[in-house]
Amino acid sequence: METILRVEDICKSFAGNQVLHDVDFSAEVERIHALVGENGAGKTTLMNIIGGIHQPDEGTVYFRGEPVSFANPLHAMNRGISIVHQELSLVPNLSVAQNVFISGQTNEMVPRQKVNRFGFINWKELYADTRDLFDHVGIDIEPTTMVSKLSVSMQQLVEIAKAISFNARVLILDEPTSALSEKEIDRLFGVIRELTRKGVAIIFISHKLDEVLTIADQISVLRDGRMVDTVRTEETSRDEIIQMMVGRHIEDMYPSKSSGVGDVLFSVEGLSRRPYFHDVSFTLRRGEILGLAGLVGSGRTEAARAIFGADALDAGKIMLDGKGIQIKSPTNAIQHGICYLTEDRKTLGLFLKMLVRDNIVSAALNRFTSQLGFLRRRAIQDESMHYVDYMQIRPPTDEVEMISLSGGNQQKSLLAKWLSAKPKVLIADEPTRGVDVGAKAKLHTDLRKMAEEGIGVILISSELPEILGLSDRVVVFREGTVAALLEGDQATQEEVMKYATR
Amino acid sequence: MQQVALMVLCVVLALGMQSQFPKYLNLDNVEIVLANSIGDGIMALGMTIVMITGGIDISVAAVLQFTAILVGMLMNAGAPIPAAIVVTLIAAAAIGWINVTLMRIFNVHPFIVTLATLLTLRGVNIVITDAGTVTGFPQQFSAIGRGYFAGVDHLRNSVVLFAVLAVITGYALKNHRFFQEAYFIGGNRRSARMSGIKVERFLVFTYVLNAVLAGVAGIVISSQYMAASISFGQNAELRTITAVAVGGASLSGGTGTIVGTVLGWLFLAMVRNAFNMTGVNTYWQDVVIGVVLAIAVFFGEYLKRRQVTR
Amino acid sequence: MTKTPGAYGASGRQAATDLLRKVLGARTTTLFLTILVVSVMLTIASGGSFLSSRNLVSVLMGMTYDLLMAMGMTLVLILGGIDLSVGSVLGLSGVAITMMMSKHQPYHVGIPGAIAVGLAVAAVCGAVNGLGVAKLKIAPFIVTLSMMAVARGLGTVWTSGWYISGLPDAYLVIGQGTFLGVPYPVYIALIILAVFSIVLQRWKPLTQAFYIGHNPEAAGLSGMRVALVTGAGYVISGLLSGLAGLFMTSRLAMGFFQFGVGAELNAIAAAVIGGASFVGGSGSLVGTFLAALLIAVINNGFVLLRGDPNYKTLVQGLIVFVAIAVDAYRRRKEIRE
Repeated sequence: METILRVEDICKSFAGNQVLHDVDFSAEVERIHALVGENGAGKTTLMNIIGGIHQPDEGTVYFRGEPVSFANPLHAMNRGISIVHQELSLVPNLSVAQNVFISGQTNEMVPRQKVNRFGFINWKELYADTRDLFDHVGIDIEPTTMVSKLSVSMQQLVEIAKAISFNARVLILDEPTSALSEKEIDRLFGVIRELTRKGVAIIFISHKLDEVLTIADQISVLRDGRMVDTVRTEETSRDEIIQMMVGRHIEDMYPSKSSGVGDVLFSVEGLSRRPYFHDVSFTLRRGEILGLAGLVGSGRTEAARAIFGADALDAGKIMLDGKGIQIKSPTNAIQHGICYLTEDRKTLGLFLKMLVRDNIVSAALNRFTSQLGFLRRRAIQDESMHYVDYMQIRPPTDEVEMISLSGGNQQKSLLAKWLSAKPKVLIADEPTRGVDVGAKAKLHTDLRKMAEEGIGVILISSELPEILGLSDRVVVFREGTVAALLEGDQATQEEVMKYATR
Repeated sequence: MQQVALMVLCVVLALGMQSQFPKYLNLDNVEIVLANSIGDGIMALGMTIVMITGGIDISVAAVLQFTAILVGMLMNAGAPIPAAIVVTLIAAAAIGWINVTLMRIFNVHPFIVTLATLLTLRGVNIVITDAGTVTGFPQQFSAIGRGYFAGVDHLRNSVVLFAVLAVITGYALKNHRFFQEAYFIGGNRRSARMSGIKVERFLVFTYVLNAVLAGVAGIVISSQYMAASISFGQNAELRTITAVAVGGASLSGGTGTIVGTVLGWLFLAMVRNAFNMTGVNTYWQDVVIGVVLAIAVFFGEYLKRRQVTR
Repeated sequence: MTKTPGAYGASGRQAATDLLRKVLGARTTTLFLTILVVSVMLTIASGGSFLSSRNLVSVLMGMTYDLLMAMGMTLVLILGGIDLSVGSVLGLSGVAITMMMSKHQPYHVGIPGAIAVGLAVAAVCGAVNGLGVAKLKIAPFIVTLSMMAVARGLGTVWTSGWYISGLPDAYLVIGQGTFLGVPYPVYIALIILAVFSIVLQRWKPLTQAFYIGHNPEAAGLSGMRVALVTGAGYVISGLLSGLAGLFMTSRLAMGFFQFGVGAELNAIAAAVIGGASFVGGSGSLVGTFLAALLIAVINNGFVLLRGDPNYKTLVQGLIVFVAIAVDAYRRRKEIRE
């Protein structure tokens, strides 16, 4: 089988973080090659390099045996490598045919524009060519249809056809089944198999191991930016793949787990907000850290937001201290003592152009307001400096702009902000994302301290070692609902992965 | 969908007016309805493309004033009519180019830059006319705004001009590869750039074209009134944007058609005329237009949000 | 907003505070100096008549109307929005007040009633703006552009284009009365400035505006009532415009639907030059005040030196351009840091 694509020793770093280490990978025509790995393993980065979106720091990409370097994605598309991303990029108010063929540049190899000499569109030719393309790919969509009328799965098929229209020899699909129903997935697989028969090499990134085992001929496993191994599907098993995905020693030291856990502090029952999550139930006891594990998109953040009142619930009950409560807005939630440390600190959690001090008290202003509504300056200053010391924020002053702090210090400030709000329950969503090792350890210790002081901590994290190292119990999410509840010893990487994937 | 609704509205309004004023559908009246709003119509054509790209240009009213004044002054200075027109249109193009260049340099929203241009241009207009009116144009000039096409009664040259421009822009927007870029840029600018579309180049084209069309409108208006003053084009930007919004374009870009805009314009022109005819205080017009704009935009955004399929 | 270079160490806090105070004054100092310089130049150029008490009063009065609206505009800009309707609301509320108390009109509501009606009208306009922006999530410039047309139109319709006269003398005292030679409205505006300034910095419900304008999602997720504060901002802007309408009609002893035409642009210019940004999250009432004063001085100088009145609008336009350029420059500098 012709190896049409090969990458060798690829290394890539972003802002000092090395994301890919000496990765080798190859794809053959007429084969479906799956790429799997945990969140953050580097799959998307690797594909983006192949597709021309990023440049590798080291290493070479070989296409058809020759080293290539793509300046931008269009360049790669013209040469024959196309990516279909998770976010669709079709223009809703134009027809399917226009979306497929009308773009900015003419491809020298394939006449795309379907226009006459003066630039006017030749509709007959456009629709005919689109129909031919769709037949070739095996899709049944009328070329004149307005994109806005198509379902997501149909739009995706159009995107695939569009990629093929560039005479793609390598087609990369990034998590193509995340928004599809069973039937639509079958149809997609049909199309993919048809394409393989026509000589295309398909690379398929996915979390869903069952699907991968069904459709792929080969599976490559990435872990922490390194290629673990590539195996043929018929020679491997689900367990073996999981082992490869997670098999590592938990080297980091985590603070010791809870010594004694109290009564139930907080519980949720039957939370639903379709299509994001449904029937989510769990309890949180005083003094414990409850971890919510699961793949990206499994509904943890959506559930957290709904609990916090940022999104509306379709159904479900929330109980705090034994009493049922209604949470209608974040203002409401904070009044009850439920706080949510957001996933994305820069856009959702911090006010970058404001001072550290302003940030730290931003969720707790009510505590520093006098009867008449005036802010007590002194009290605010004391509070913010208290946290600057407590959290060891550098530089040790609260009068600099938040944006000048390093990632780790920003994250510490974010945690300080929520501590200042005196929560009873804190949902921490990716609290150590983008943070250096030292700050990470400090944040872990702080979270454990909080739990010991009686604050209920719910931890959402995509880093398996972190969840396992920090949590007393783990709730595993899968596709919007709770798949398992693992106690103490039960919670191992393999167990979590087993329930997190299908 | 929206276009059908608009057509129905226009028909209903026409029939309603006809029942009150038996002479409504007379060609005399139709001629007036169209001629009174022809400036707005021409500007709406350019504004449609601007709004499809997700931008806006509120300086058009001032451009209309400016070109009306400029063409008049040039003719008064002795320039032959064609030359005056050409120079004026070039000046309009220059203003459009200034707008889009400032947008790029200052990296600000189109609204803000065109707001500043609006004010400055208005100031310039006051200065050059000495707050007065420019008159004394050569008689042939009135042919554009008042003359009849090929001698056909009631069919003004300006209306024919508008129709021709509408057909050209409408056809181009639907069928020409370059014009389609407006939809791509308005739909998803980043993705458009990644597809190889030269976004900056298209935006320059759009705002220059828009200014030139405003210039054409200015020339037509000054020809119609055989005068030019700073009182022209009051609230014209409001009416133009409203016509385009009612016609189906969304403020955030990606939608809009010339057909829709023309229908929206027609509807507003009829409403305006209805005010005049029924003797309702014409000052109510602004109120109504303001409300209509808010409603049109609200519905546009509301429907767009409902449409998000996920 | 304030900036400090990294200040470390135990004494860092002290150094940071000092530097802060100095930097906070940078913009204010520039404005102050500019006003001083321009004033001096005008005094010389006008042979001293710039400093005549009559002229200074004229400057202060001219500034007062703009200042009131600019204060509201500052708040709205801090919130990340804009209010194009201020001039029209000034006109409409002025019309409402004078209509209510004029002896030629049928209402005869009496002075306090008339003022209440006028301010209520202004507040309602602001509330409608606020509703459109905060609840219906329509772009602020469209909402307030609509309101601009609607309010102006309503004012025109109500008066049918006529002046409103026949106002009771007691009412005229508000705008025409003076203390130490300076008209009452100037004092009132300055008092409002002082109070508003303190309140904006220290009163929780309004200070939140800075957070909200800077990052509305984060503000909402921090428990702030974004919609409420945003709506309130527009109501305040409306009320201040209404107050300006009150002063203008009282001082000029008439109601006129054209009052306030074009005022929004001066208000925007003053707010932006004074430190507000179109992207939201920043603004300074003191800066706005100085900017309004500067603009008033420039406009006055124009008249004084017998500048062609036709150039007035042009000058205003250029001032707005300056405001935009300044804001863009400030933002560029921030990005580079």
